[in-house]
Amino acid sequence: MKFLHERLPNGLDVIAEVTDTALSTSIGFFVKTGARDETDAEWGVSHFLEHMVFKGTNDLSADEINRRFDWMGASANAFTSEEDTAYHAAVLPEQQIEATALLARMMRPALREDDFDTEKLVILEEIRMYDDQPPFGADDRCRATFFGHHPLARSVLGTVESIERMPVEVMRDYHRRRYSPANIVLCATGAVDFEALVRSAREWCGDWEPLAIPPRRAPLDLRAAYAPTLELITRPTSTLEYAVKMSRGPAGDDDDRFAAKLLAAILGDTSGSRLYWAMVDTGRAEQASCHHQDFLDAGMFATQLSCDPEDAEELLGMIDEVYRAAAEKGLDRREFEQNRNKLAGRWVLLGERPRRRLFDVGPEWAHSGDYRSVADDLRTIENLSREDVHRVLARWPLHGTGSTVLAGPLPLDPSLETASEAQ
Amino acid sequence: MKQTLHSATLDNGIVLLGEDLPGLESVAVAFHTPAGAVHDGPGRCGLATLSGEMMLRGAGDRTSRDIVEVLEGSGIQWAQSVSTSHSSFAGAMVARQLPIALPIYADILRRPRLPDDELENARQMVLQNLAGTEDDPAHRAMSALRQLHYPHPLGMPSEGISADVEAIGVDDVRSFVRAHVVPRGMIIAVAGRIDWNDFVTRVEALFGDWDTDDASAVAIGSRGERIRFVPHDSQQTHIALAWSVPPYRHDASYEASAALSVLGGGSSSRLFSEVRERRGLCYSVSAGYHTLRDYASAICYSGTSAARAQETLDVMLAEIDRLPGTIEEAELDRVKSRAKSALVMQQESSAARAAWIARQWYHLGSVRSLAEELARYDRLNVASVEGWLAANRPAGLTIVSLGKEPLEVPREVSA
Repeated sequence: MKFLHERLPNGLDVIAEVTDTALSTSIGFFVKTGARDETDAEWGVSHFLEHMVFKGTNDLSADEINRRFDWMGASANAFTSEEDTAYHAAVLPEQQIEATALLARMMRPALREDDFDTEKLVILEEIRMYDDQPPFGADDRCRATFFGHHPLARSVLGTVESIERMPVEVMRDYHRRRYSPANIVLCATGAVDFEALVRSAREWCGDWEPLAIPPRRAPLDLRAAYAPTLELITRPTSTLEYAVKMSRGPAGDDDDRFAAKLLAAILGDTSGSRLYWAMVDTGRAEQASCHHQDFLDAGMFATQLSCDPEDAEELLGMIDEVYRAAAEKGLDRREFEQNRNKLAGRWVLLGERPRRRLFDVGPEWAHSGDYRSVADDLRTIENLSREDVHRVLARWPLHGTGSTVLAGPLPLDPSLETASEAQ
Repeated sequence: MKQTLHSATLDNGIVLLGEDLPGLESVAVAFHTPAGAVHDGPGRCGLATLSGEMMLRGAGDRTSRDIVEVLEGSGIQWAQSVSTSHSSFAGAMVARQLPIALPIYADILRRPRLPDDELENARQMVLQNLAGTEDDPAHRAMSALRQLHYPHPLGMPSEGISADVEAIGVDDVRSFVRAHVVPRGMIIAVAGRIDWNDFVTRVEALFGDWDTDDASAVAIGSRGERIRFVPHDSQQTHIALAWSVPPYRHDASYEASAALSVLGGGSSSRLFSEVRERRGLCYSVSAGYHTLRDYASAICYSGTSAARAQETLDVMLAEIDRLPGTIEEAELDRVKSRAKSALVMQQESSAARAAWIARQWYHLGSVRSLAEELARYDRLNVASVEGWLAANRPAGLTIVSLGKEPLEVPREVSA
């Protein structure tokens, strides 16, 4: 496995992790933009734009794009998060040049108004689809409360209102500002011909006009750092009650982020964790899990619970006790080692799939300008000690803090809600 | 591409399958026992699932916790699942851990404790999962579709039905495991960085002396009604359609799945272009091929807001009706290209290949080489696909809609 990097004169980074034994080539354009880069008037535009990129350029129709990907046998898609928008395709190596060219051309979309109006309907359907699904908006509401005035408070899809009122000019302007070459990383993994990749980048991206990109970091203002909050969304016809809780954790540039992921696995992995044995194995909860998520300048532990509505309060209390016990009594050696091996095993399996590696290598470079091999990550995981995890517990306690949102049949109880007056 | 496949059959009927995947560090192993949900029995829908869960709750000398701690402590990613035909236990790991994993799986399969005092927890776990599926409208629509379309009990939900799960006793679980977790009909598949001879030796030592009676066959009944509306308080209406096509072991299944892929397989497919891209009617719309051993279905799905659901259904039906006689060579070329590319890329995942070779054996009684599989796609042409479609026009559709209001369904499509 080797890593290669070249920067075009206009600032576009071209990187590749080359695996000689791979059978496929994965190519992705990672744009350093997402929901956190939007203003109120732009709410949802990053994700909407991601859809519009598939609607064609001045000389490529949407049908033509779809046909070309299918003709190449590509597994192509895109995603938008709080911090990234990515367009990617996995192909057989002989299609590398063709797939790179197509993705590159798509980065300069026509953004036609009639396509914009039609696609707006699809976005609204996507919003409704998620609104009908568990956790029924609890995740978005929790993020809004937890992040407060921080730009990460914004949900990726936007709202029905923000999408309906958005004119196409907002998107065109956003695209011009955010899709500047210095704000984009072209990343490939697997069986990559790096010289050909750089040639493709020069041919299709070389004339992209460089524009200055404003810095993204925002002052940290996490309301949950001060007082726990609880909110309710009432969905009378839901069967289960769904809870999402967010509390502070190490950010993406913090050396403790690996220890935080190990801690989250110990406390709340979907199998074999403390929450699993306490609630899932016993059939008290459908799900009781915890994971760590990091961003450029913030990090969080997100806890998810789904259970019978009448048990929700008790189980939230139990979760808090599980977290408290870990902080006060620490972790036993066997449990720690078991979970470290589990995390390492998971990393090896994910690491040997080039299509999966794209989503580690691309964002890592986009966020930090660094490359970490699977071996680097494994070394970090294997060197973790119990003290590292105990330090995380001390720096970012998970108990007695955090923003919680419940969604389900539980009736609205004003005495329970604590966040409304603070909004 | 060079490919090395292995197979062996133990005296007790267990079939062992293997594939070398050079370049990988991992090995994936899967044990498919013939204890699928098809054997749940009347009033016991969910028995296979509850039994699978109980098998993990202590086996041989190990408690439930020991099993999970040893597997996870060895970095083994384990999974357990139940389908219509099989109850399966699988693991993916760094190759050197396979000798640790195999004896644990042998205990789970041959020496499950099935303890009384774990039944309630296991039952509650299954019931929690069922309650969760109640909140997933797309899942509910698809589950209702399979239940109506396949002859009973082939379409019954493997996750169970609450009232049935409530009624299951520990004796039901024990007799189910005794009768159906048996060597005959069992497939053990391994793929990745394997040492085949070593694997066969180990499996033979662990499973070779296991002998039981053969499991009994299941009586297949009739299908359900063709059109059903499921009331559900949601913004979107979910539409699921099915009609019958040849199962995978028939040669014509390639023509059938290619035709379905033209209809709704990729982003250049007819349904995606017409329903989503041109009309913006929905976020998700697709058509696909779903096969059991003796029955298979074309399945189409879309979810869209109530006000636009009727138009969505109408356009889907029009595209299905328009399919025979209109397939173009370029469309079929794209379908072939997608299928072939996916097959080659599958070789990068040990777990995907272990699942694939087991699936082939179950359906065909043999494993086709990658070269043969690719050649089958190469042989497809417009004349063969159209020929099959002309003789097998989509008809007798089962249609499920789930949402606030029922949809108008023209009677003739279900005839």
